[in-house]
Amino acid sequence: MPPIVSFFLRRLLGALPVLVVVLVGSFLLLEAASGDAVDSYVARSGAMDAEQMAQLRQDWGLDKGPLYRFRAYATALAEGDLGWSTSFERPVASVIFERLPITLLLMGVATALAFSLGSFLGILAGASPGSFRDRFLSIASLAIYAVPGFWLGLVLIVIFAVDLRWLPVGGIETIASGKSGLARLGDIAAHLILPVASLAMVYLVLYLRLMRDRMSEIWRDPFVSALEARGISRSRIVWRHVARNAVLPVVTMLGLQAAAMLGGSVVVESVFAIPGFGRLAAEAVARRDTPLLLGVILCSAVTVIIANLLVDLAYGKLDPRVRAGR
Amino acid sequence: MNVWRRLNLEARIGAVMLSILVLMALLAPLIAPGDPLAITGEPMVRPFASEAHVLGTDRLGRDVLAGLLHGTRTTLLVAFFSAAAALIVGSIVGTLSGYLGGFADTVLMRITEAFQTVPGFLLALAAISVTGPSVPTLIFAISLGNWTQAARVTRAEVLSLRERDFVAAARTLGMRPLEIAFREILPNAFGPTVSLAAISVAAAILIEAALSFLGFGDPNRVTWGSMIAEGRTVLRAAPYLSIVPGIALVITVLSVHLIGRGLSRRERLVP
Amino acid sequence: MTEPYLQVKNLNVSYAAIPALANVSIDLAKGERLAVIGESGSGKSTLAMAIAGLLPKQARSSGTIDFPGLSHSPKPGKDIGVLFQDPSGSLDPVMKIGDQIAEVAMTHQGISWIAARVRAAQLLDRVRIPKPLSRLNSYPHEFSGGQKQRIAMAAALAGNPSLLIADEPTSALDTVVQRHIVDLLDELVREAGLTLLFVTHDIALASERADTIAVLYQGRLVETGPTVRVLGEPEHPYTRALINTHISLDTPRAKRLAEINVADL
Ligand SMILES: Nc1ncnc2c1ncn2[C@@H]1O[C@H](COP(=O)(O)OP(=O)(O)O)[C@@H](O)[C@H]1O
Ligand SMILES: [Mg+2]
Repeated sequence: MPPIVSFFLRRLLGALPVLVVVLVGSFLLLEAASGDAVDSYVARSGAMDAEQMAQLRQDWGLDKGPLYRFRAYATALAEGDLGWSTSFERPVASVIFERLPITLLLMGVATALAFSLGSFLGILAGASPGSFRDRFLSIASLAIYAVPGFWLGLVLIVIFAVDLRWLPVGGIETIASGKSGLARLGDIAAHLILPVASLAMVYLVLYLRLMRDRMSEIWRDPFVSALEARGISRSRIVWRHVARNAVLPVVTMLGLQAAAMLGGSVVVESVFAIPGFGRLAAEAVARRDTPLLLGVILCSAVTVIIANLLVDLAYGKLDPRVRAGR
Repeated sequence: MNVWRRLNLEARIGAVMLSILVLMALLAPLIAPGDPLAITGEPMVRPFASEAHVLGTDRLGRDVLAGLLHGTRTTLLVAFFSAAAALIVGSIVGTLSGYLGGFADTVLMRITEAFQTVPGFLLALAAISVTGPSVPTLIFAISLGNWTQAARVTRAEVLSLRERDFVAAARTLGMRPLEIAFREILPNAFGPTVSLAAISVAAAILIEAALSFLGFGDPNRVTWGSMIAEGRTVLRAAPYLSIVPGIALVITVLSVHLIGRGLSRRERLVP
Repeated sequence: MTEPYLQVKNLNVSYAAIPALANVSIDLAKGERLAVIGESGSGKSTLAMAIAGLLPKQARSSGTIDFPGLSHSPKPGKDIGVLFQDPSGSLDPVMKIGDQIAEVAMTHQGISWIAARVRAAQLLDRVRIPKPLSRLNSYPHEFSGGQKQRIAMAAALAGNPSLLIADEPTSALDTVVQRHIVDLLDELVREAGLTLLFVTHDIALASERADTIAVLYQGRLVETGPTVRVLGEPEHPYTRALINTHISLDTPRAKRLAEINVADL
């Protein structure tokens, strides 16, 4: 087996207990929610008398005990059945998989932007800790770090969509625009600019500060004086050595931030009326669609686990010490 | 004042800002008596246009300043208690996990990981969907996704404390394991956990705002998040209705971060 | 007498008003091997770093350091190579060692990256790293302490410097490895005709390898001269004390060292 495959398998196996805990938690939530599957079935399919409902409960095993129900729930999940969405009147899985790609796109672009621009600015600040440039970036980033993404989204809408009319107010693409190919891609990109900015800004300054702080530590590392003694140019020391070392912990953060960013997408997608996975969570709560909410929670847990796995893989590529240890 | 002198400039600015906010919260009923949700004037009065409504009124004619002041109460109340709950639960779990070790540690850490794997905001949404929105349930819901970091930090601290002299001494004195954990270890491990407090408070403020922005806040209280959401419906005509409460949010979170940075020079958890 | 390669006159260095070197004057001829000895804190490293032009920012210095043997003011890496005590701290942990040596060659010799990599392989061969071509792509953590110091040596020599400054290059290593590194250093210095300034607290080492010895005591140069003279007929009481403590402490270890060396050959 190629090492990368066995690494993947081992990590997935390691994540199994965590998934089980999430599963149990979701099940408890389902139990705590008022009403059961029969109630929602009745709500969906119209009138039914008490006797019929009791019969249905018996058929579905809902009268059995919680352990039985948990087994049924887990078995269904194992078969990929996430349940029935009462508000969409469709299987939860199909609703989620329709919504997930948009959110993954949004998060992917936001992460790429936050990471690249944040580290770049962090390097500018960390190249000479204590300088004017460093202090300016520090203060600016601290202020921006306090800005809630959804509010930033509204402010951006006011400026760029309402006043300047440069960008669309919301949505993921112009409805019935008849565009295709590159034109459609451009349209989607224009719709993504503001939500990506709102979602990414906090992480951008987070990575900026992480990069900067780590660099100011690495400057004190003895290998830097060794490089100076060899006459290596300042810019090469900054970019090829100090920044290269400092980026490693920032990469670790990428995985840890996946869950937070997924949470952030709930509000940002609501602000920009983007029909994504995040907004689905809010819709599920608003429409009291518990099976859908549980599906969203489970899927986001899996998404976070996979994101962390990918980050670990990338980290292994970036840090030779880990690569050898594996 | 001893504490004041130990704070750096950033932390002092933060402390002053937060004190003003606390004062606003305490004096809200005096400055703006009555129900902040009551309609008190013409709708959509612009800021500084009327003496009765310094910051103007919203779409329905509710006073913006009154909302802002009373919103401070909700924000600080929810943020403070949910951060406190998160820190307490987190340090208890972390202490148990670190001190007991073995199977208990494994189980507790898996649970912690599971809570970290599910986005905290979704956990809060899920909790609200079961309990319904009110101040106590909001506090509970927000702390649900906020305790894991405290658990990890405390656990790490406990692991390093476990082998120290005073713990060995307690053991030879015949104290029981749990007694040692909570009477000897937890108080010593609390220091680093407290430096997490600022982050927890800031996170709680932002989650509360986002929840009430989405309409999942306590419907009987005015909050900055709900004011932003309310203003959003007239964003084109009166953008300030959304912008003003947002600025209040930014100032509050910033003041907490400034204090946090001043307190935790050692572990810079706030960037 | 020919003009010296290096001339230090009335050098004073202090860190935050605390003097570390006072009025040190010393000459170094081309090809000479100078050992700087003295107890810990006597200012050996400060002298070495002052000459290399690498004093930390907070250091204040006065006096002159001239290189009459050079037509220009010396550049770190190009004219002066430096070897530090801690071999792990001399290398960037996440860059291939071949690249770390090649970047020095490229910086100072104006050669292409490929040529610099070839030169790196040659240098690795010169410092006796086995299979140098394939080791170019290894990272520092894949080497032992002694090997890392060899690699650091290769990097220090990659710019073809005429002066090599080594600040206790072996004291972080165990004794067997120490001997190998010292032999290698000696050989490289002779081959390339380098001028060498090495800091050590090992008097046996100084007596074997140095042409001249300088003794530092509390930031002052208390004695300097040819090795045989300084160790044979020390003038300053501090030098005598240093030699006495050394002999009583180190004689058995020197014997042990010799045995191991024989077995190794
Ligand atoms: N960066 C520094 N900052 C302040 N004091 C220093 C620094 N480096 C060395 N010193 C002081 O200068 C004196 C000489 O140090 P050093 O040159 O390192 O001695 P040696 O190498 O002989 O042990 C010591 O008292 C040391 O404490
Ligand atoms: Mg020294």
